[in-house]
Amino acid sequence: MADPYSQSHLLSIRNLSKRYGNLTAVDGVSLDIRPGEIFALLGVNGAGKTTMIGCITGLISNFEGDIRVAGYDVRRDYQITRQLVGLVPQELNFDGFFPTAETLRYQGGYFGSRGNRERGDRLLETFALADKAKANTRKLSGGMKRRLMVCKALMHQPALLFLDEPTAGVDVDLREELWSYISRLRDAGTTIVLTTHYLEEAENLADRIGIINRGRLLRVDSRDNLMRTFGRRWIEVRLSGTVPRDLVNALAEYVPETPAPDRLRITFPESAHHRAGEEAPVKRLMLALQNAGLEVETLEGGRNRLEDIFREVVHSDRP
Amino acid sequence: MTSDNLSAETRQPHRGDVMTPGTTATADGPGSPVATGDGRPPPGAEEAARRHIAAVETRARNNRGWRGTWMLFRRELARFMKVAGQTIVSPVLTTILWFIVFGYSLGSRLDEIQGIPYVDFLVPGLIMLNLINNSFLNTGFSLFISKIHGSVVDVLLTPLSPLQLIIGYIAASLLRALIIGGLIWAVAGVMGASTLHNPAFTLIFMILTSLAFALFGLVVAILAEDFDHINIFPSFLLMPLTFLGGVFYSIDMLPSPWDTVSLVNPILYMVNGLRYGMTGVTDVPVGFGLFLVAGSVAVFGAVALYLLSTGKKLRE
Repeated sequence: MADPYSQSHLLSIRNLSKRYGNLTAVDGVSLDIRPGEIFALLGVNGAGKTTMIGCITGLISNFEGDIRVAGYDVRRDYQITRQLVGLVPQELNFDGFFPTAETLRYQGGYFGSRGNRERGDRLLETFALADKAKANTRKLSGGMKRRLMVCKALMHQPALLFLDEPTAGVDVDLREELWSYISRLRDAGTTIVLTTHYLEEAENLADRIGIINRGRLLRVDSRDNLMRTFGRRWIEVRLSGTVPRDLVNALAEYVPETPAPDRLRITFPESAHHRAGEEAPVKRLMLALQNAGLEVETLEGGRNRLEDIFREVVHSDRP
Repeated sequence: MTSDNLSAETRQPHRGDVMTPGTTATADGPGSPVATGDGRPPPGAEEAARRHIAAVETRARNNRGWRGTWMLFRRELARFMKVAGQTIVSPVLTTILWFIVFGYSLGSRLDEIQGIPYVDFLVPGLIMLNLINNSFLNTGFSLFISKIHGSVVDVLLTPLSPLQLIIGYIAASLLRALIIGGLIWAVAGVMGASTLHNPAFTLIFMILTSLAFALFGLVVAILAEDFDHINIFPSFLLMPLTFLGGVFYSIDMLPSPWDTVSLVNPILYMVNGLRYGMTGVTDVPVGFGLFLVAGSVAVFGAVALYLLSTGKKLRE
């Protein structure tokens, strides 16, 4: 049995650019993916996610920059890198000549894999397509075609799986099943890069998140770090009387607002929330209310989500 | 290349040179978290991934791609056999009808052409017509329809080299053309046509012609962007050139200057090459015909290889 892979990164991208005439679809992207992680690439439609994945997986061969999978150059050593990577493309596709099971057998066969019949049947079982094994692929529903595409990508047991918008057009139940499967797949040793514009997907699954806009990778960080850096919390109290002016002034650093005469809302960065001692905003608010002898009727609180962070990062990149 | 002899440059993560300031791009980059749940995969998953990568890498380095090529051929073969009524039976039946109508009904009113019965004269032309059409259509249609349906990515993602892709596709086309050509040849023999002058030469000529047009079909399918592009060649080029290429007549029967004009039609040499192999008669030099089909294989093969190697049209 081979020694475990020892390099730090499974995928290394350096200064990747792809141009179509005057349009720069990917603009100087550099990124590393670590073995065993789930990485989510977030971006709006046309941000460059699919083009970037195309360059890595071999669907696009003319690009500038350097891409290596397990140290192998994706253009020079494509016969090795294409066996290391798998892709579930964004666009639904089907091979209208064959039934699902047969399609899987051929797909495994192209990669020189053996035991394709058994593996194909197992995957069909896993993805609830066993009863469609003999059905022509063109007769499958959209969700079934999507699942079949996942099966196809897994037939050669890739080490690095790209899922390009895997849950687009998939119903809620199936989406959650797919998320669960992705997690299990990662636990079993498959490194996963997924693109999505469902931020909930990234929030639920990803260890790290990259935000791409207009071909440029604006930010890459762990999910928790992103939340800490860009996250905001808010607290809103409803008092038994009008909010005093002094109280508002005393909390000036927390952007106090009074949505109604008896309501006070403060907003502060996630990082401030974790500060210990008297500096913590919640404690400051409570002390101020106590000192002013004010009675709190109701108290609400919350935090912004990854979606808000994503918007903030992307909007700051506007030309 | 193995992972053990990678250059130091590729072994080392490129620390800190990846992202805009203040961000963390590399898992090991500055400011990167250490604890699980803060950007790093769970330790168990990373260990499992490292073992899995090593296993796939070992398998990948041992795979030369020929099994995959064989599977592509099998897939292509299965594709046309699934619609055999359309891809095999229909062209054979249609040609037999041509053969009966032109060879026996109308042909019986003709005297011999170049010293052989008209039926014998007609068979090679009809076979050539089918070899050209079916070898072109098999690769052309198969690849083009997969481009339209998007399933071409299934093939583009594979580790098959440009040469292996070409072999997988054209081997199936060749087989389809030879099945059809062989069936027509056999039926003609059963019906009394005498076409066994030089079977070895005939077979070589059939193979080379089929390969040339299978490669041509592949090139057209790579370049084609809509159905018109794929149909334009069989309808507006191959069919007229084949009909004007001496399938039904000898160019000696044409009035001047059309007998001379016909000499620029490459398919004339192909039809006559096959006619020579089957009956021993020809309007044009057989050596040139052989050179032409072999040259076409080389030229279309080189173009297909160039397109697939550079990724033009398919990997853009």
